[in-house]
Amino acid sequence: MSILPQPVQALIEAFERLPGIGPKTASRLVFFLLRSPGDLTERLAEALNGLKNGTGQCSICFNITAADEEVCEVCRDPRREAALICVVEEPLDVLALERTGGYQGKYHVLGGVLSPIEGIGPDDLKIRPLIERVRQGGINEVIIATNPSMEGDATALYLKQQLAPFSARVTRLARGLPMGSDLEYADQSTILRALAGRQDMQSGS
Amino acid sequence: MHIDHLSLTNFRAFSRLDLDVPRRVLLVGDNAQGKTTVLEAIYFLATFTSFHAPSDRQLINFLLTDEALVVARLVAEFERKKKKHTLEVRLIQEINGSGQTRLRKEILLDGSKKQVHDALGAFNAVIFEPQMMRILEGAPEERRRYLNMALAQVVPSYARNLSDYQQALSQRNALLKLLAERGGDQEQLAYWDGVISQHGAAIVHARIHAIEEIERQAVRVHDQLTNSAEVFRMDYQPAFDPLQQDASQYKLPLQVQSVRSGLSLDEIQAGFSQRLRQLRGEEIARGVTTIGPHRDELRILCNGVDLGDFGSRGQLRTALLSLKLAETGWMKEKSGDWPVLLLDEVLVELDDQRRDDLQRYLAQGEQVLMTTTDLKLFQPLFVSSSALWQVSAGKIEQQTQSQ
Repeated sequence: MSILPQPVQALIEAFERLPGIGPKTASRLVFFLLRSPGDLTERLAEALNGLKNGTGQCSICFNITAADEEVCEVCRDPRREAALICVVEEPLDVLALERTGGYQGKYHVLGGVLSPIEGIGPDDLKIRPLIERVRQGGINEVIIATNPSMEGDATALYLKQQLAPFSARVTRLARGLPMGSDLEYADQSTILRALAGRQDMQSGS
Repeated sequence: MHIDHLSLTNFRAFSRLDLDVPRRVLLVGDNAQGKTTVLEAIYFLATFTSFHAPSDRQLINFLLTDEALVVARLVAEFERKKKKHTLEVRLIQEINGSGQTRLRKEILLDGSKKQVHDALGAFNAVIFEPQMMRILEGAPEERRRYLNMALAQVVPSYARNLSDYQQALSQRNALLKLLAERGGDQEQLAYWDGVISQHGAAIVHARIHAIEEIERQAVRVHDQLTNSAEVFRMDYQPAFDPLQQDASQYKLPLQVQSVRSGLSLDEIQAGFSQRLRQLRGEEIARGVTTIGPHRDELRILCNGVDLGDFGSRGQLRTALLSLKLAETGWMKEKSGDWPVLLLDEVLVELDDQRRDDLQRYLAQGEQVLMTTTDLKLFQPLFVSSSALWQVSAGKIEQQTQSQ
């Protein structure tokens, strides 16, 4: 019953499937594109086409890479500490850590977390390759940086069990109050975690 | 505590309602006009869930549910310990990209957004309604639900433990099923066992104490209501019983209860996680978690007889009244304030003596809202001291009383 021509309607529906975009935003985007100069839509179409064809997975850490690269930039970089691996859920988590500029080790991207409800078990994640990396030796520490959710914690504990036979130290990111926040506005479970994870004060901090 | 002002928007049959709420309110009107809805709205502000509707969706004005965005809003200004607060709940229903509707719940306490777990307990209410007979007659699930709604209001972190427990339970059951069907590493269970026993122990611990305290009050009330003819008892039967280890010795139920309440949270948790470990093989075979508070039972007995099985109508009504009055007293003892009392068509079900007893009790309450189709059931004094709200077709008129 739509009065819009089919190509317009089809694009609106495609946009609506994207996360964070509702019907209104979708229509606005489509009509913007409709009125925009031709090269914008062409470039967009090209970029979209290239997205799947032009990317691949790093064979070591499973972060996203350019299609013609076997190994990602971080894994290739000789200046980065090879004995330190940070385990994250998604490639975006790598980006978040990289932005801090405070991490100089390597990564391992699991591609999700253990969630029996969704049928995701250890074999659906990149857990075996991680164990293999540690087994080969030369790793001093594995930092587990899965999200502080139940599923993230379940994954962390499972990894710890699996890595127990090896000599590498297994650590987990600290959890507590966010910087610049107000104690008063923090929710109860965050405050409880922060209390449980309190630390001795060190001079200068 | 008491509500000074209540406003409802798009809540069930009310498109808009704005009312100052006095301390005694009688909602009068025929059936299906919206009397119960007012009580439901107030109780919703205490528990953030409805005692009537299985889903929050049904609380939104049905005339609007086809629109792309609908907001139902409940706002109460209430006073507690001489301080004024505002509690607002927004139920926001929107249609997403794939054409499905989604319901969001936002809670604002004094203007700042809160999660359900953090807002619970800010405002307390107790509801009496005829359908509550199912607490006594229905499946064990009804009694667990009853306990949860009362405990969530006054025991800090109970609701959070409950929802974390539920989430972990779903994951654990899914994992048990996966392990049963496809096999795999059983050590994946270790984390979920830990979470289940941590939150499960907190729930069991809270229930042990609450049931003991509510029972103490109910015994006294029931003794009065029945002129000492009946002895009221509550028998908590946890599916994971922390006392099970020494089940070889027979104990009287009363002793069992007092021994249970002497157990610490850590002891319960340690026992729970040990038991899960013992049951692992069996649970994998069955693909489901077999012990824990999601399977608890609470039996309610009069003179040693289980009311759910053998109670007469009259006995059930009196026992329910005792239970509810005890819940009110318990809540007051725990929180230091009277909860707002909500009574839906309760008098009809009682005989004259109980009716008088109840009204005498209600007279002490800080704020009471009652619905009725028949004012004659009330004592004249009770009626004259109350505000009368005439409810018809989703509108409320405040009546001035002729003396």
